[in-house]
Amino acid sequence: MEWRIGIDIGGTFTDVAMVEESTGRIGIAKVPTTPLDFAEGVLDGLNQGLQGSGVAAREVSLLAHATTIVTNALLENKGARTAFIATRGFRDILELRRSARTDLYDLFQEAPPVLVPRRHRFEITERIDAQGEVITPLAMAEIPALVAALREAEVQTVAVSLLFSFLNDAHERQLGAALRAALPGVQVFLSCEVLPEIREFERASTTAVCAFVGPLLQSYLQRLQSAVDGIGLPALHVMASGGGVLDVKECLRMPAMAVESGPAAGVIAAGLAGKQLGLGNLLSFDMGGTTAKASVIAEGEIAVTADYEVGGAANAKRWLVGSGHPIRVPVVDLAEVSAGGGSIAWLDPGGALKVGPHSAGARPGPVAYGRGGTLPTVTDANVALGYLAPDALLDGDLAMDKPAAEAAIQQHIAGPLGLSVVEAAARIVEVVNANMHQALRIVSVERGHDPREFSLMAFGGAGPIHAVALAEELDIPEVIIPPAPGAFSALGLVSSDIKRDYARTLYASLATVDPAQIAEAFAAMEGEGMAMLEAARVPVSRRGFQRSADLRYRRQAYELTVPLEEGPITAQSLAALAAAFHRRHEQTYGHANEVEPVQMVNLRLTAIGRLPPMKLAQPWKAEAARRRERQVWFPATGLTPCPILWREGLVPGAEITGPCVVESLDSTFVLPPGWTARVDADAYLRVTRS
Amino acid sequence: MPDSATALAGIDPARFEVVKNALLSAAEEMKIVLAKTAYSPLLKVAGDYSCGIFDRQGNMVAQGPDLPIHLGSMPDAVRSVVRAFPQPDPGDVYIHNDPYHGGSHLPDVNVVVPAFLGDVLLGYGCVRAHWPDIGSATPGSYGAVTEIYGEGLRLPPVKLYRDGQPDPGIEAIILANVRTPSERQGDIRAQVAANRRAAQRMAALARKYGAEELLRIMDRILDYSETMMRAALRALPDGEAQFTDTIDGDGILAPGETQDAQFRVAMSIRKSGDTVTVDFAGSDPRVAGPMNAPLTVTSSGVFTALKMIADPKSLIPPNSGAWRPVTVIAPPGSVVHAQEPAPVTYANHEMSHRIADIVFAAMHRIAPQTVMAGSQGTSAVVTFGGTDYRTDDRYVSYESTKGGFGARPMMDGINAVSSSVSNMLNTPIEVLEMSFPLRIEEYALVPDSGGAGTWRGGLGVRRSWRVLERDAHCATCCERVATPPFGLSGGLPGATASIRLELPDGEVRPILGKGAFIAPAGSCLVLQVPGSGGYGPPAGRDTARLRDDLLDGYVSPEAARRDYGVAPESLLGTTWEETR
Repeated sequence: MEWRIGIDIGGTFTDVAMVEESTGRIGIAKVPTTPLDFAEGVLDGLNQGLQGSGVAAREVSLLAHATTIVTNALLENKGARTAFIATRGFRDILELRRSARTDLYDLFQEAPPVLVPRRHRFEITERIDAQGEVITPLAMAEIPALVAALREAEVQTVAVSLLFSFLNDAHERQLGAALRAALPGVQVFLSCEVLPEIREFERASTTAVCAFVGPLLQSYLQRLQSAVDGIGLPALHVMASGGGVLDVKECLRMPAMAVESGPAAGVIAAGLAGKQLGLGNLLSFDMGGTTAKASVIAEGEIAVTADYEVGGAANAKRWLVGSGHPIRVPVVDLAEVSAGGGSIAWLDPGGALKVGPHSAGARPGPVAYGRGGTLPTVTDANVALGYLAPDALLDGDLAMDKPAAEAAIQQHIAGPLGLSVVEAAARIVEVVNANMHQALRIVSVERGHDPREFSLMAFGGAGPIHAVALAEELDIPEVIIPPAPGAFSALGLVSSDIKRDYARTLYASLATVDPAQIAEAFAAMEGEGMAMLEAARVPVSRRGFQRSADLRYRRQAYELTVPLEEGPITAQSLAALAAAFHRRHEQTYGHANEVEPVQMVNLRLTAIGRLPPMKLAQPWKAEAARRRERQVWFPATGLTPCPILWREGLVPGAEITGPCVVESLDSTFVLPPGWTARVDADAYLRVTRS
Repeated sequence: MPDSATALAGIDPARFEVVKNALLSAAEEMKIVLAKTAYSPLLKVAGDYSCGIFDRQGNMVAQGPDLPIHLGSMPDAVRSVVRAFPQPDPGDVYIHNDPYHGGSHLPDVNVVVPAFLGDVLLGYGCVRAHWPDIGSATPGSYGAVTEIYGEGLRLPPVKLYRDGQPDPGIEAIILANVRTPSERQGDIRAQVAANRRAAQRMAALARKYGAEELLRIMDRILDYSETMMRAALRALPDGEAQFTDTIDGDGILAPGETQDAQFRVAMSIRKSGDTVTVDFAGSDPRVAGPMNAPLTVTSSGVFTALKMIADPKSLIPPNSGAWRPVTVIAPPGSVVHAQEPAPVTYANHEMSHRIADIVFAAMHRIAPQTVMAGSQGTSAVVTFGGTDYRTDDRYVSYESTKGGFGARPMMDGINAVSSSVSNMLNTPIEVLEMSFPLRIEEYALVPDSGGAGTWRGGLGVRRSWRVLERDAHCATCCERVATPPFGLSGGLPGATASIRLELPDGEVRPILGKGAFIAPAGSCLVLQVPGSGGYGPPAGRDTARLRDDLLDGYVSPEAARRDYGVAPESLLGTTWEETR
């Protein structure tokens, strides 16, 4: 009996999902997030989950986790006090960026953000040239003064990015060693350790992001690891922004990899569910307590971008390039808006009704939770409209205080606007839906995808409440409510292979490079990968390695990543690699030039610990069926008596017509009039117009 | 937002939106294909190109997020192809760069591909890319010459490919006239590949929605932008204003001169209801050197500034429809309406930069809250050419260095970023040095280069290039060496540009803003690009902001005293916590 556990720490709830590998059996626990010490909520959720499913810690084979700590630190500018050190003459490269502006025509655009203010940017005399040769040796004599300046600035962390360190890292390593020795307690990030790739700005920016969030992430992960160690669980893994889970060591080497950890898990889960259902075109829609995220899966492909900027902004039309901090790591492409169950509704000075971006979060939380919240939230509106049960959401743990929610709406919104409480609540939902509509548009319509050709997979604690209204708005023909929607992202965590990418820069002409040199580089990387998989307790039969090379025509600036065939590296296999590159170039760009020399830039190895394939199904049992009724508001009907069903009791083949509300421990699904939900064989709800 | 129901004329609004954005995505995809496959750093990393989707008449329907400088003139370039080849065939590829047929300057080469579904013509893709060299006497083709015939290879619209295959004759002529033919060949292939992607995407849309429907929607996209632009213009106050500005010069020294002779551009602008008329009557006649702007280049400067003024939230898709309410008039033969054979190379970016700033200055008199102070006003171009000591290969390097973006009402300017007509990227130092025998010795902000003001101007930068091992041909093209970027509403001007050559023996030689020279092996060219003007009087600057400027070294203690009348000691705390 092997179980996998996924932990998704959201702004409001911490979800724990457990899946038994052999049977696909699911167990869920949902507890409030504890922002002062996340480990507290995690332990609470783990204990509940383990007990609830009767599982012992030693039966757990994988513990994977998604965090928003990195994103939040950047969005709220709450990272460590960071210094940046560059080659003499270049301390401003973080601010000079690439010279392009964020928006072509926006006269009032903000200057792009800089993580390190100029007063904390330093220089050291040294220079390596384009051939990797030392032109000016590292000025060791300057280091004491530099150390003194860093102490004076009281920085907690230092990012070092020297020119051409991706070709020759000697100076960075010497400087790094000196700084680490002289400044214990200060974390030092070297660009050659974080991202040994050409392009000084992007490398420096990625390094600075790592430094900015590194100390926070380290203390967080250490705290969490020792907490789970304490109850005998295996090593913690972290979801990477581009999919796949990392061990803690790798995550701390490159904290930028954890930027969109949580949202990525949800999209991975949606992709898996889509595959299971045989659906290629999906809009994934994840609404939790604080934010809503939308992503597109077109023809089965999860959209992943390599040019991500963290902490940036989107305007009414699209993601704004140049508005955040570039990081050169793969990130699932998604649009995120501040719209969650905890988003606070308020009136601006002009009397317009706004929802968010402020969230009541986990504490104090919505008014209805009775934990001290006084400002009306989306959840409070959903309670007032009858969508959320006034009694208990978390099996008695969290009873909703409907009168308090109504009073807050009355005081802050309905009263000032001269509306009834129900009318005001309906407006709040309308406004938050419009915000989320925007996120869905950014990933679909704005990218040339017609939402009418997609199914909307809705999850997160609040997603299924709003999903059908959004589908109606965007003309999406089908809504899918997956198993355990409230903990669905956590399910994505336990469905992701363990993955770690290794790279070595090797500039060489493919025609003349010594195959032994390549073989040696791969052998070294395989050694590291093997050790990682060993540590993660991946059985030998499930270990795998994928080798590839980044190749381009000599004068190009961008590479194509081409897989290498299995077997020994020989002149023949390199010739086959060159042929594969020409073919891929032809397929990708419509032309190739077989007489042109092919240049090798990087060798890559991905070490994978494959998880046995697993099916996600909603547990059901006919005897769990219950039926209640309460007054629920719909735009078409106003307040109307509405049947309330229990998700666990919905058996495959059943059909429900709106109006109806389907409740479960982790989530609530609202089915408005005019729509019908069919329960499929795995108890997914497939919702279409009646 | 205006009611666009009339512009849509019976088309399903949801479908309209999807197709409009799909065309925009196609233009963005063209951009990616070009960057990823091109060979010259100018294209693959510095982004000196624009990609667009055009209708059958040559109107621009969608432009990628590229260079506003091409807004006005790319449609003219495609129209001249449409005129020259009224019956395009699938598999055709056209090429041309003629500034007197809708081109901008000779280095900007347009490659145009028709898109078909079956035998129905849907429109065109066009990629305008700046080639680092198009021949002429100077590597980089930035010589100070007096006729267009000296500026390099001039291609009227000709067929580069037929039946999907390159015409070996045309290709041979082109490659024989440029300094780095194998690099150019790679760039041409990239331009063709990007256009083919556009043609594929247009064909896919036509298959999905029907060719007729696609064509109808393309028409409506133009009407939609027009409707939106008219509404945006209506929201601005009516008025009339004039502004005359002095331009540094044209790079040609008359006998006996040691400084470039300045000349004037005069503009009057009339905003009335939902239209704008811009008239350049009174501007100086053509100049000898390459600062003569074809009317389409002049128009691009006007369009860019008006779009930023009327549509600051970037809601209006920039396409040919958006410019229907705008009339640009300039006397033929003047410096802003060049006639053959006037040389034009510098004018493309230098004059359009300056014209955009003139529009802001004039509109300041009509609607002062909608404009910004003078920006860098130049593309600050530096080219190097010669042979690489590492490979003996010929090379040409072309770079544009960015300065300040003007201060705005209630906002500081932006340091070192492309302004108005331009949106090129810098060339990463590591890519530059791997490609060319040059070494960058400094790339840094210049303190005090932003004009003082309640809202401070953006800072300019200094960039210096060491020429390695062998002599190089070098050319510069930089405005605002003599005339600083203006401040507005009491803000002070930004710093001017300056250029010097430091020779290995220690001699320092001043370099003119525009011209070509030999940079000896071991010499170092130091370019300082302009900052931008401030907005509002310096005395009005918030002291907390000024203190931050001092701590970060954007403003020096001397400048705080001189320009802001503030004793720096009175602002600076002694510890980090106090100054945080």
